[in-house]
Amino acid sequence: MIFEHCIRCTVCVENCPVLRVNPDFPGPKQAGPDAQRFRSDREKAEDEWVLLCSQCKRCEMACPCGVEPAQIILKAQQRYGLEHPRTPAHLLFANNYYLSALGSLTAPLANRIAATKVGKKIFSAMGIATYIPFPKFRFRKLSWKKRTPNRRSRKVAFFYGCFINFYRPDIGRKIIQLLKSFNVDVVLPPQWCCGLPALGNGNLELARSFALKNTASLSNYIDAGYDILYSCTSCGLCLLHDYQGIMDIPKAKKIAENTYDLHEYILRLVDDNYIKPQFQEVRRKLAYHIPCHLRALGIGYPAAKLMSLIPGLECEILDDTCCGLSGSYGFKKSNESTSIQIGNRAVARIKKTGAGAIVADCGSCRMQLGGLSGIATLDPAEVISEALGITLVKKRKS
Amino acid sequence: MSVTEYDVIIIGAGVAGLTAGAFLAGRGFKVALVTSGEPTACLSTGCIDVCSRDHNPLIGIKELPLAHPFHLVPEKMIRESLDNFQTAMMDMGIPYTGAPEENRLVLSALGTFKTSCLVPSTMEAAPQNTKDSIHIISFAGLKDFYPSYIISRRKNTKFSIYDAGVSSTMGIASHFEEKEFLESFIVWLKGQNIDEDKIAFPAVLGLESAAEIVKTIANRVGKPVFEIPTIPPSMPGRRLFNALKDYFRKKSGDIYWAWPVVGIEKAGRLIEAVVTQSEGRPNSLNARAFILATGSFVGGGLTATREAIIENVFNLPVHVPGPRDTWFENDYFSFNHGIGRAGIIVDSSLRPAGTPMENIFVCGGILADTEILKNGCGHGLALATAHAAAQSCMEYIR
Repeated sequence: MIFEHCIRCTVCVENCPVLRVNPDFPGPKQAGPDAQRFRSDREKAEDEWVLLCSQCKRCEMACPCGVEPAQIILKAQQRYGLEHPRTPAHLLFANNYYLSALGSLTAPLANRIAATKVGKKIFSAMGIATYIPFPKFRFRKLSWKKRTPNRRSRKVAFFYGCFINFYRPDIGRKIIQLLKSFNVDVVLPPQWCCGLPALGNGNLELARSFALKNTASLSNYIDAGYDILYSCTSCGLCLLHDYQGIMDIPKAKKIAENTYDLHEYILRLVDDNYIKPQFQEVRRKLAYHIPCHLRALGIGYPAAKLMSLIPGLECEILDDTCCGLSGSYGFKKSNESTSIQIGNRAVARIKKTGAGAIVADCGSCRMQLGGLSGIATLDPAEVISEALGITLVKKRKS
Repeated sequence: MSVTEYDVIIIGAGVAGLTAGAFLAGRGFKVALVTSGEPTACLSTGCIDVCSRDHNPLIGIKELPLAHPFHLVPEKMIRESLDNFQTAMMDMGIPYTGAPEENRLVLSALGTFKTSCLVPSTMEAAPQNTKDSIHIISFAGLKDFYPSYIISRRKNTKFSIYDAGVSSTMGIASHFEEKEFLESFIVWLKGQNIDEDKIAFPAVLGLESAAEIVKTIANRVGKPVFEIPTIPPSMPGRRLFNALKDYFRKKSGDIYWAWPVVGIEKAGRLIEAVVTQSEGRPNSLNARAFILATGSFVGGGLTATREAIIENVFNLPVHVPGPRDTWFENDYFSFNHGIGRAGIIVDSSLRPAGTPMENIFVCGGILADTEILKNGCGHGLALATAHAAAQSCMEYIR
């Protein structure tokens, strides 16, 4: 945390989506390196406004001096969370994994309750925003099972993340099918929430307990010669960045060294001549909303690179706008207005492109942008599968 | 098939890097641009200073010391680079006013004049003399913009304050993008019954559509309206950066954010790849040629230590203007600090001197002997040398 390197240039301020719409947030420079000079371990944290930061990390991407304002603020958020009573919304979203597991087990019932007026009132009373429909739970379909891999093929363990597991297992299955079509052996290792929702809601301890379990599980697979793949860019950033950083997980380095973004991995297969994908023509115009956390991974935009190989596909990259939801951030009543205003900016930009659908790697970006715009949303893996003629064998009704 | 190999990699996302990138990508080459943060262009006034030594910048350039890198660019190419810039910016919705034969004046926040060549259309109506009467509109709580400074230097100048409900530059600029806000602002402005010839604003009139906003206000109140550049966060600087970036992308260039170059791979007289340390493991990008446009000290291209000045990417030999005690004059505000001459000396093909490497080209603020402050030649030099470096690079890889 080298806040002393800040030269007060304000490039981070120019990039903060929250500051643009919410005057209560002093911005990354003041909440980060500026305020850091005054934070003392001997005084109780009184900087409640740090909770207004959505942790999009755009400030960190912009900083020319290597200061990490979002990281400084994240630490301040953890401290604030420890020293002050947590709201029901914070407690619930920190435990998102358990909540979702329960919702998924009881999917039809949970969905019906979440959609009723009474359900919405309950949400509202707990400080949960309901401006976009709550994602629909699905029965959990991705199961942890070991398979004996083919010796000659590449082996990956897929960290699918909560969104795919509880809400869109169909995308998960499509990704598995996509990888299999590339002659890659896919297994689903035992896994838990990556920990980011807990971290984002000021519960470092819970986040660490998830991280430790995941690390132990994934580490076994790495030892057995597997590469780890993620498709949710926020899970990815958490596994690669936060496990080594704020969570300080032993073996985190090993995880980071062997973990790849799905499309980054496919690009490597292409570069290594392991596969020669024959894309069919896809006549579509898409707006590719780049999730902030994909930007933060520092791997470029691998899915964009892949999609650029698809004949007929027009795909405009939009990386100046944040969707505003930031996982559970926008689901809190206190952030609702901020989140909607940020999201509407992104939607306006998307509508300018005249695209027929929005692509985004991150499930919560898709939820927000689809909800606010009414435009269809796709995971890049769905577009790539389409171009390769891959469809799910067993179709489920949505 | 390799999808991650490029013809050219540009290092640095400033005016020089993005311009060189667009030049090459527009001619069909595969270009990637890598950057560790956002450039100092974001902090600039957005004005294209070409040379302030003479009323005619092209004559001014001829009078520059022999070692000045402007002499490496033929006049025809300088004109071309400025012309291309104006066309590109018009295309991106931020038109620039001016011509290479004539400097213009821009009113500064201190009431002094800044000499520049091409200026954003939002500054076109700035007075070119000391006589025009001006009415300044500022905003309640806006920091670091004090109309009194200007009034102390100009006769016939008055000011009024508008309460925008927010006080940050980003917040006010965002508000101006909203139709209702703009409308109620114009109603207020008309009610002020301003007598003065022209109306001035700090440069906060929008971010995405500033040119339109200024035009709308001017039409509705029936008086010329112009912006006065502010200290960072600088909206005109950000508009310029956004436009250059979008233009580069439009030409099919790839951008890798959060990609600080930490190492290189070389073979004989060729650089083969640049390497970054991303979260997990080193990542590299291959190319046939490299353009170094990392800027000077603030931009991150050069670092000064007690003993030496270091070029941060390729460790190229740096021209150091004498022993350390001659780097700075006693007068802080002097234009003659020796350090202003530090940088990379290049040959007529913009290749760095004193290195056997043949596929590196250098442009922009990192060049030696620029004395940018003294000669008033910042972005103009970046545009011209970017064209020259890109041209040489193109001839090399063809």
